[in-house]
Amino acid sequence: MRKYIICMAGILMLLSVPAAAQDKFFTKSGRISFVSKGDIETIAAKHKGITCVLDTKSGTIQFAVLMKGFEFEKALMQEHFNENYVESDKFPRAGFKGQVINSGEVNYAQDGTYTVKVKGSLSLHGVNKAIEIPGKITMKDGKPQLKAEFNILLSDYNIKIPAMVKDNISNIVTITVECVLEPLKN
Amino acid sequence: MRTKQLITIGLIGVFAALAVYAWREFNRTHKSLVTVQSDYTVQATALVHEFLSNEEAACDKYRDKILTVTGMVKWVDRVEGDCIIVLGDTASLSASVRCLVDSAQVKYTGSLRPSDTVTVKGVFTGFKNDDTGLLGSDVELNRCVVGYGE
Repeated sequence: MRKYIICMAGILMLLSVPAAAQDKFFTKSGRISFVSKGDIETIAAKHKGITCVLDTKSGTIQFAVLMKGFEFEKALMQEHFNENYVESDKFPRAGFKGQVINSGEVNYAQDGTYTVKVKGSLSLHGVNKAIEIPGKITMKDGKPQLKAEFNILLSDYNIKIPAMVKDNISNIVTITVECVLEPLKN
Repeated sequence: MRTKQLITIGLIGVFAALAVYAWREFNRTHKSLVTVQSDYTVQATALVHEFLSNEEAACDKYRDKILTVTGMVKWVDRVEGDCIIVLGDTASLSASVRCLVDSAQVKYTGSLRPSDTVTVKGVFTGFKNDDTGLLGSDVELNRCVVGYGE
């Protein structure tokens, strides 16, 4: 009987280890793109190196972005973005820290696509602002794929558009986030 | 009359030249780093230690600079046609140099394997300090080209 109990305890311990190891997922190759559609011109950029960490147990989610990682098709646009708009020498990073509000509705153990709401603080150009955005978590082969699309106002983050180009550049920027996460092994 | 005509032609020429310059500057794309000389040549592990000891000084030193970095490949990430080469001390998982390869150069990275020693040239975009303590901090380079030393 004693041997049976010890054996069962050992089996239960072994079974618990893989589940604990898959609570946290991450990527350092996540993608963000943004688009600003002005009357005259559309400005677009992509970033292919964002860091994201998702804790499926607590629902917490974090993103970190180096502003100079945004790549524009035109070099002059990229220079203006960094020097005049986001002032990336002064504010080199942007980030988001928040919570998947309805994390309990996501079955991380089963493949499928789940609509979620994420609430937290977006930090950009030295300003922290509370935001709530819709998104999707797709579980595939035990790995979460995140996707979200939302708008921000540049004025909310003290990003000034010179009067001379206010017809070129819209105050509304559409941001798309796409990340495929891997298990974070401790 | 003739002088006036010459001045007018001259002014038109100057404005035309300025317009061409402005158009070319507006539409200028990024130059490939294959032919650009780098500002610094460093070893990957030394570069990482420089940031871990004094992040502010290192960021000031390398801001907007082109670096040639030699190091051991820890791994190669391939995501949707892009390639990120991670350089550093393969015995330690804590900090690395992450090199996003220029899309035109990805085809030259096919043979790269972990533990290979490689030289990469890229533009310094920043240092991502790991607040979580779980992921390791990274020096990040973009528009990287592989195998082009000084």
